[in-house]
Amino acid sequence: METDVLIIGAGPAGLAAAFEAGSRGLDVVMIDESSRLGGQLSQQTQMVSMLPSQYPPMKGFELAKLLINQLHDFPVKILLNHPFIGLYQDGSIGVSDGKNVFPISAKKVIVTTGAAERAIPFLKWTMPGVMTIGAAQTLVNRDFVVPGKKAVIFGSSDFALDVAIQLKQVGVEIEGIIEESTKLTAQNMDKINLIKQASIPIYLNSFIKEVGGNGQVEEVYVQQDQEVKTFHADLVCVDGGRKPITEVFYQLDCSFSYQEKLGGWIPQYNERLQSSQEGVYLGGNAAGISFHGSILLTGIIAGISVCEDLGVLEADEANSLRDSLFKEIKIIESKQDDHLWLERMTHIENFLHPKLKNQFIS
Amino acid sequence: MDKDTIICRCEELSFEEIEEVICLGAESFDDIKRITRCGMGPCQAKICADLVSKMIHEQTGKIYEEIPMPRMRMPVSPISIETLSTNSQHFSTVKSVLDEVELEDGKVR
Repeated sequence: METDVLIIGAGPAGLAAAFEAGSRGLDVVMIDESSRLGGQLSQQTQMVSMLPSQYPPMKGFELAKLLINQLHDFPVKILLNHPFIGLYQDGSIGVSDGKNVFPISAKKVIVTTGAAERAIPFLKWTMPGVMTIGAAQTLVNRDFVVPGKKAVIFGSSDFALDVAIQLKQVGVEIEGIIEESTKLTAQNMDKINLIKQASIPIYLNSFIKEVGGNGQVEEVYVQQDQEVKTFHADLVCVDGGRKPITEVFYQLDCSFSYQEKLGGWIPQYNERLQSSQEGVYLGGNAAGISFHGSILLTGIIAGISVCEDLGVLEADEANSLRDSLFKEIKIIESKQDDHLWLERMTHIENFLHPKLKNQFIS
Repeated sequence: MDKDTIICRCEELSFEEIEEVICLGAESFDDIKRITRCGMGPCQAKICADLVSKMIHEQTGKIYEEIPMPRMRMPVSPISIETLSTNSQHFSTVKSVLDEVELEDGKVR
């Protein structure tokens, strides 16, 4: 299979990039290992915050629908259930349809693989009933499965609070929100108030020490100050934060640097969202963990850079578009967390000085 | 953290087992992997890589950017050999562990 642009990952950033390339007449192939478009957006029933200015406030799955619908009129070929396998020596990308592995040769590749949740280890955390907060949301909103009757939530980010409310709405009793630090890490006051209104107890300065049960979680032991409190629960949702998914970049021999705020090891990119491999671009959470707004904007920038390099967009126009998109990222990121934007800039400045490169030659 | 806490859930390695390898001088995830099989199960280090980096950081004082990422070989998620080996007559095989093996010129790698 041959195409102008291959997009790996059909989440928000991939869809936004596909629209940029597709609407300017480029042939686009988009692959995703899952069976539906929209990535994590499809199970987000909460309002998504900090969208770019052209979008009205909406819920995650509504945004997914909008991004998918705007592709209808353009030559975008979508291959679902098609995982990325590796790189062929001739530069084409190996993709599997479940039966075969076949190559797709593309003039440009945009990688928007998103982020994965981090685990938090404690005694017996591998017992059935312990899952990440995102897994609990997926079960409820995508699979329509209630993951438990009584839940303990470990972590207090905005996302954890969102899911706590969603679990409560489907009849899961929330026994408590456990937070290691001295205050909630969530910043959105509306969400914090919702938790208080729902009278969900919050335990600060606490952490889960151990879970117990016969084959599945039945009790949760929480250390608070000097005492250990026992909760009777069958579900533990841990919120360990997220990190960019980097395997595809590693396979494509991209270079990496470490940026704490952006989620740890992330592929190098310049202000065009182009990686150290000339034909490989990136966007979304894979380019650094951030808010929905930046996820979309970085995807759009990657799409624009590809259009410019394939000659369907003038350099002047591409530059001015990129400038205004970066300004918007700056507004979104510095409003929430100054360090996030500064680290993104540092990362871009470090483009030529990666920490990890040529990893296959060792 | 309790010594019995599982770190690599696929290969069932405990905190203590990994701690021991760090005490022996392991400085990267791959060092630990070579000795313990950490990260060699179905998830291919997607879950434990972070936890192990944190342990190396806490026990050796190394900063995170000096602890390299684990090597991520293809395929990045499990796939049957039958699927993987198809089409190999027509295309050079996918970049794999074999790129570390020297083969004769002209042979399919």
